[in-house]
Amino acid sequence: MDEAVCKAPDEMAFGEALAELEAIVRGLESGQLELEESMTRYQRGVALLQALQGKLSDAQQKVTALLGEIEADAEGE
Amino acid sequence: MGPQRAVSVTEAMGSAKRALEQVRLRVVGEVSEFADKPGYRAAYFTVADGGAAMPCLMWRDQYQASGVRLRCGMLVEMTGHFSAYAPKGRLQFVVRDLQLAGEGQLRMQVAELARRLEAEGLMREERKRSLPAYPRRIGLVTSPRGKAVHDVVRTLKRRYPLAEIVFAGVPVEGSDAASAIAAGLRTVAEAGPDLVLLVRGGGSYEDLMPFNAEEVARAVVACPVPVVTGIGHEPDTSIADMVADLRASTPTAAAESAAPAIEEVRAALATTSRRLGRALAHRVQHAEHQVAVLARRPVFTDCSVVVGQAAQALDQAALALHRALPARLEREAERVRYAREGLVRVGPRIGERDAERVAVGAAELDALSPLKVLGRGYAVCYTADGANVVRSAAEVGVGDRVGVRVGSGRLGCIVEEVERSDDGRSGL
Repeated sequence: MDEAVCKAPDEMAFGEALAELEAIVRGLESGQLELEESMTRYQRGVALLQALQGKLSDAQQKVTALLGEIEADAEGE
Repeated sequence: MGPQRAVSVTEAMGSAKRALEQVRLRVVGEVSEFADKPGYRAAYFTVADGGAAMPCLMWRDQYQASGVRLRCGMLVEMTGHFSAYAPKGRLQFVVRDLQLAGEGQLRMQVAELARRLEAEGLMREERKRSLPAYPRRIGLVTSPRGKAVHDVVRTLKRRYPLAEIVFAGVPVEGSDAASAIAAGLRTVAEAGPDLVLLVRGGGSYEDLMPFNAEEVARAVVACPVPVVTGIGHEPDTSIADMVADLRASTPTAAAESAAPAIEEVRAALATTSRRLGRALAHRVQHAEHQVAVLARRPVFTDCSVVVGQAAQALDQAALALHRALPARLEREAERVRYAREGLVRVGPRIGERDAERVAVGAAELDALSPLKVLGRGYAVCYTADGANVVRSAAEVGVGDRVGVRVGSGRLGCIVEEVERSDDGRSGL
């Protein structure tokens, strides 16, 4: 696996981490890897999975207003 | 015929009203005054052109049914009839049907712009970018007021709270709206979103005109990330919708298309987690199986398989050696025995023959022996050390000691006189 790909899972974007995890699972499922390589990738996959699950559970919607402030919902259109 | 009978004012106005109500017309004009107070049972407004003004009313239920929301300056087309309001002696036009007069013209302009942009290829399917599956940041351009912005925020919060929303609140109606929307698109694009939502709640055709502006269309096309429109006016498609990467029917639908639902993501992740575990378990099982299969091979269960051949070869060599050594010794011993027998057999005969030959030789030797010669009276003279035979008188001097061997015994002598033979070789 390319070195550059091995970023810290917490620092990766959700989609990026998910894509790498998918690739790891496919690689493992192919059964073509050496056992040692399988173990290494599995560990990486678990780290990615934990980071992804952490992101899902910690998710707090953030709204940044660049222009104008959103007015209260009570206002009719 | 005298003058006409005088009538009351009420009768006069009633007469005028009846006459006016026969006048049914279709009228176009610009709204110059407008009053729509909630307590009124009708909308009152004035429609004018350069030369005249006409007070109008439209009963509230009919006005609301028309869908038009009047504003001053608006060009309207009305169908109705004149009437009179007797208490004030006022002429008025009672509107039965109302629509925006400019709409037809606006539609034509919009259609023309649409054709032009289409000819540029801005609406082609292959131009349309696909949306990222898991956006990190979602741009939102809409009015900061009203339902649309809240619909989007609420939908994203419910479905995909992972994404940050970068919001540009812009006016979506009025003459400045188009350039404000275009500026809003550029502003959110600078914040580096993965896609942009351009939304607006429902409204009249005219209300939606900013979304038909070329400036907005160009800003949508220039946006570096996909743009999803949710402009709520179902029967009509705005130009922004046509050039957008994806058109959703409402702001909520736009938000739903922008991101997956978090429950689906959780479920997919759980599946992936199981796949990951199973894949490794299979790989390990496979490795175990391979090892087990190998471990059962005779090479591991019976060590003789590995060393057997070598051991056997060694045994063979030892055997050969064991066989070879006695055999060799036996052969050698045989040869020795044979030789000995030969010797034993031949030996005595060698002795016999040699004994004869020795006897003959001895007889010959005896005949040749100097002792025999000496026996006949000769003597041999030796140098004092007995090493050399003195063959010439010149070899000794007077006074030298010499030994003389005679037929029987030896004499030690001292030379008293040397007499050389005449051969001249002697002498000192």
